[in-house]
Amino acid sequence: MDQLLPPEIDVAARSFPKALAACGDLNALMRLKGAYVGREGSHAARMMDLLKAAPKEHKRELGAQINAYKQQWEEALKGRQTDLESAKKAQDALAAGWDPTLPPPVPAAGALHPLNRLMDRLVDVFRPLGFHVEEGPEVETEAHNFDGLNIPDDHPAKASSDTFYLAAHPELLLRTHTSPVQVRTLLRVAPTLAERGGIRFLAPGRVYRKDEIDPTHSPMFHQVEGMLVGHGIGMQHLKGTLEYALRTLFGPHTEIRLRPSYFPFVEPGCEVDVSCPLCGATGCRVCKGSGWVEILGAGLIHPNVLTYAGIDPTVWSGWAFGMGVERMSMMLSQTPDLRLFFENDQRFLKAMGGLD
Amino acid sequence: MWIERKALAQEIPAAAGLEIRELCEVLASLGFPVDGVAAREGSEALDVDITANRGDAMSHRGIAREVAARLGQPLTPLPPSAPEGAPLLEVRLEAAACPVYATAVLELGPGETPESAQAFLRALEATPKKLPAVDASNELLHRYGHPTHAFDADAIRGAVSVRWARPGETITTLDGVTRSLATADLVIADEAGPIALAGVMGGDATKVSATTRRVLLESAWFDARTVRATARRHSLHTDASHRFGRGADPAMARIARDLLVLRLQTWCQARLLGAWTAGAEPQRGTAVVLEAGLLTRIAGESLDLPQAAEALQRLGCSVVATAGSLSVLPPTWRHDLNIPEDLAEEVLRLRGYEHIPSALPPLEGPPEHLAPAYLQRQALARRLAHLGFHQTVTYGFISPEADSTFAGPANPPEGRTLANPLGYEYSVLRGSLLPSLVVSAGQNARQGARQIRLFELAPTYLSGPSGPREQATLAVVWGGVLGGEDPFSPARSVQEADLAGLARDLGIQDGPAIHRLAEGLFGFEVSLAALPLPQDRIIPAFRPFSRFPAVERDLSLLVPLGLGHETLRQAMASALPADALQDLRCVDVFRHRSLPEGRQAWLMRLRFQADRTLVGAEVDGWMAAALAAAEALGASLRA
Repeated sequence: MDQLLPPEIDVAARSFPKALAACGDLNALMRLKGAYVGREGSHAARMMDLLKAAPKEHKRELGAQINAYKQQWEEALKGRQTDLESAKKAQDALAAGWDPTLPPPVPAAGALHPLNRLMDRLVDVFRPLGFHVEEGPEVETEAHNFDGLNIPDDHPAKASSDTFYLAAHPELLLRTHTSPVQVRTLLRVAPTLAERGGIRFLAPGRVYRKDEIDPTHSPMFHQVEGMLVGHGIGMQHLKGTLEYALRTLFGPHTEIRLRPSYFPFVEPGCEVDVSCPLCGATGCRVCKGSGWVEILGAGLIHPNVLTYAGIDPTVWSGWAFGMGVERMSMMLSQTPDLRLFFENDQRFLKAMGGLD
Repeated sequence: MWIERKALAQEIPAAAGLEIRELCEVLASLGFPVDGVAAREGSEALDVDITANRGDAMSHRGIAREVAARLGQPLTPLPPSAPEGAPLLEVRLEAAACPVYATAVLELGPGETPESAQAFLRALEATPKKLPAVDASNELLHRYGHPTHAFDADAIRGAVSVRWARPGETITTLDGVTRSLATADLVIADEAGPIALAGVMGGDATKVSATTRRVLLESAWFDARTVRATARRHSLHTDASHRFGRGADPAMARIARDLLVLRLQTWCQARLLGAWTAGAEPQRGTAVVLEAGLLTRIAGESLDLPQAAEALQRLGCSVVATAGSLSVLPPTWRHDLNIPEDLAEEVLRLRGYEHIPSALPPLEGPPEHLAPAYLQRQALARRLAHLGFHQTVTYGFISPEADSTFAGPANPPEGRTLANPLGYEYSVLRGSLLPSLVVSAGQNARQGARQIRLFELAPTYLSGPSGPREQATLAVVWGGVLGGEDPFSPARSVQEADLAGLARDLGIQDGPAIHRLAEGLFGFEVSLAALPLPQDRIIPAFRPFSRFPAVERDLSLLVPLGLGHETLRQAMASALPADALQDLRCVDVFRHRSLPEGRQAWLMRLRFQADRTLVGAEVDGWMAAALAAAEALGASLRA
């Protein structure tokens, strides 16, 4: 039998499995396919030529033998082709697909200024109690900034060493606190106070004092003023409101403490401490070990302030508070230098201000 | 103010038993927070914060009175007054600002200021002069709060008077400064002229020195306002002016004189030649009536009136109780108790603010809305922050040069200039926010920021006849490189068009002027009045939209350079049915020298949609009409 096919076919048949395994890609496989079963010049083609030339009596046997080889090779080639095709498909998918470990395009993130964000937060805290926002100009009159607030006309704060005045308008100044908004608002609502049922508002804003710029001083800073006028308002209402607000701000376990103090526009007056939000009142650097942090000044509105605005202090009463926004922000964030708030480095703004 | 603990305990013995921490807590609860405690002279000195209304508390005795009232414990009694004699020298009180002037003349002996008194002064950061008359006066001030003065009696010529300074008079004060006096300055004068600025500082010519043999003591009471004015006028703020300026105790005039005499007798064997008083203490004020109702309202609960009366008495008030109210005469040292509210505060203060109950104030009327202008700023700030911009806060005043860059001629800086700025660079209320943002942008650029996105919402100032008018303003600056920070976003520079797009996003109708502020940095500024207010209507009216397929066609046009997009767009749109044209805009620009001279290529995209399926022929007709309209403006179809 064997002598029917030349020895080189036999060699080719024996080396086929190795050659097939060596095909790493479809191109190589196609070349191998051409060499074994191709239409021309392949081993199969040569065998078909031999078959044509073979004597009649051998044709049947030789044909069977050739078919066996061809079938064997074609099946093996087909199987290998399928394998290589699916491998290539997988490769292509990998190349075309998305690598989730690559940095994705992230939408730009900006930030509110930390002082604005804190003021907004305070407004949010007081809104449910029915407070709205009142605003006033930064360029104010002496009357609104001082006189209407029961500040005596020889008070040192009025001196040009403490307060900025306008050159062309000596009666105008840059407000030294947000309290003139009290005066403006009370003057405006006085005629309709009864119909309104009193008034309650916050006045956040920028204020100016003649301080040199250093790590703890700035000629411009921010305050938030709060005021409420109603019937029969006493210290308990101040305490209750601030307790609610500061607990909303710092957490439900926050305690507040009132200490007597003095501001010309309130009587009685007080400083308000809050149990240290950083250490939970156990004592830390921020509260200097005391467990308490001074957060704002407050009191019941001085009758002279109501009278100035045309409101009868025997009928109406109320409370007011004022807090320094930078002071609070610096203390709670432990920002070491006040000037950072006005330098506006984007990294500082992003880290400190952020977005809700 | 420094309070030395042992000296305090000498005035209120019960305080000796308090731990330092307890003492600090008591003081804080009374309204005198302790800022610090320092070890001094073998004792502790407390740095006590005293509010401006409490001149009476600016001494050890004053603080002791408060502690005594809180603890319900007695003060150490003052020594009994010594009898007075006939004046040795005429003292004339010529101004109502000095109603009482207690004085004495002593011949000094050889003794010195005792070490205990020197240590006390050192503990308070005061320097003992080792002159008994000077040190005793100083010690007395810190211990009892009443300023006194000792003159060299032999340097005084003739009678002494307390009077207003005369025009042209001068005095050389103890600090060696010669001061021109105003006629509103109260002075002590002898027959040759002023020898002291009343309640502020003594004169150099009559000062006590090591060679002084005889002293004339002054223990008077001066009107607080007068002393404040003189101290301010001469920028001369002294221990004496602080105390007289906040209101001293007129009843202390004689007592302090007696205490001073006693010290000089003990310290340096001084011999009293005579003590007398000119004038008399001013009449005490009228009683203040505290109604029970007011006290209840302020306290937040009904307080026992007899207990309130007792608290006020502990503070030195004379109290007459009637049905439902207390008639209260404050002590001579309390000038701050003038209205019923002041008294209510005292009752609460002595009882402890920790006892105040807590309640939310009842709502008496409907809450008010937030103002549209406020909501507008909130919305803008949030929109910009979400778009990647950082909100800045910068000072409202800038240098005139920086201001002139953007403030127009209609807004002269003169009306916005400060009389007393911190410096030239902070002297003008800004007419524009952009100069400040340029500074902040530069700061960020120097810090290596790849992209700068800043905005500020603040007032700008417009000069006007009655003062600067404030305009709420928004300014935005944007610069640097967009993208390029991940494999998906190609990098490109920020351009004017980016700011124009941002302005449109914010609802700015007429595109604002985009300024090129620096290389690659652009900005714009708008008055908030030009921006839309937040919508009143949360639920807008329904506007129908087509569910039929849209048809999009592009038209590549060669347009003359200089033809505006808006002009072209409007011309083309007017040739098209308004109900079918959804959108029409240039989506690509091509400029190249291969194009005909003076031309650029615009790819115009038209989008049609209607309440029916559009047919090709119909759209072809519209495209032809649009092209014709464009051609009328000199455009042509690009081959």
